[in-house]
Amino acid sequence: MILKNRIGTAIAVFTLSVALFISGCTSKPSAEELRQLNDLKAEVNSLEKQIAEQERVKANLEKEVAEKNDQLKQCQTDKDAVKKATGQ
Amino acid sequence: MKTKIFLTMVLALMFLIDAPSILAQEMTKEQWQQEMSQFTAKRNDLKSKLDKLNGDIKNLQEQSKKMDADLAVCNGELLKLLGITQAEYDAYMNELSGYERRVNELMRLSDEELLKYRDEIMKMNGRANEMAKHKMALIPRINDRIKKLQDNIASLMKTLDKSKTYTVGTWAKDRDCLWNIAKKKDIYNNAWMWPKIWQGNKDKIKNPDIIKPKWVLKIPAGTELTKEEKSAANSYYKKKAEAAAPVQ
Repeated sequence: MILKNRIGTAIAVFTLSVALFISGCTSKPSAEELRQLNDLKAEVNSLEKQIAEQERVKANLEKEVAEKNDQLKQCQTDKDAVKKATGQ
Repeated sequence: MKTKIFLTMVLALMFLIDAPSILAQEMTKEQWQQEMSQFTAKRNDLKSKLDKLNGDIKNLQEQSKKMDADLAVCNGELLKLLGITQAEYDAYMNELSGYERRVNELMRLSDEELLKYRDEIMKMNGRANEMAKHKMALIPRINDRIKKLQDNIASLMKTLDKSKTYTVGTWAKDRDCLWNIAKKKDIYNNAWMWPKIWQGNKDKIKNPDIIKPKWVLKIPAGTELTKEEKSAANSYYKKKAEAAAPVQ
């Protein structure tokens, strides 16, 4: 009977020790390290926003440049036609 | 004693069961390291992407500035070739756009409503013809716009002509006869066109020498007499001549 009790106690103590080991002894990042990670995530988020904005600016500029290019071509065509018509 | 052992085992089991969830909520050092590496790589990618974008934008801005300068030079040369100033160019373009807009508005009106704008249309027609002779019309794209404007005005005038009418006044006051009506500037501006009015109103005019005050005469469109109108006029003149000839 005493042996049984001892075995039971040993099992209980062993199980408790394993549980405590698993939950308590795993290494965790420090508060400073967690802050670093959060800062990094915020920086990535901010960069993504900046890229979206700059892509919009770039698209507008590309459109503007294409329009100006058309105007320039048109102006050259006009000039050539006027030169031809006036014999210059 | 048994109860103590039992409770200890239950407590230990609870710990064992709960341990994974505790671990899941709190990040392990390994996970932190993994996320740090992942986000650092992402940040570096984004930074280089942003740098490239900023470079592209700078290039485009420079390109745009250069194009502004080139365009200014080209426009200056064009104006010089035409012998006009920028202000004259702008005024011409504004006038052209204004007429285009106005003609489009008028084209949406019904024939009846259009009659109210006869004078304006005639004025626009005159001005469009002048604009077509301007140096600016040497520019093909402007010439095309002027031609389109003239076509649209011509179509408006055709509509006006189709629905043109004239209400006969009295001889005493207005000296209205077919000859004098045809001679009017806003009718045909040509007295010899009188048979056109006669033939266009055969339902009313049986004898071209007789028209009655308040008759509303249709004024057919055209600038020349048709074969039938000429033939009608000839037979009228012949009859007149026969009637005037002295009886022997």
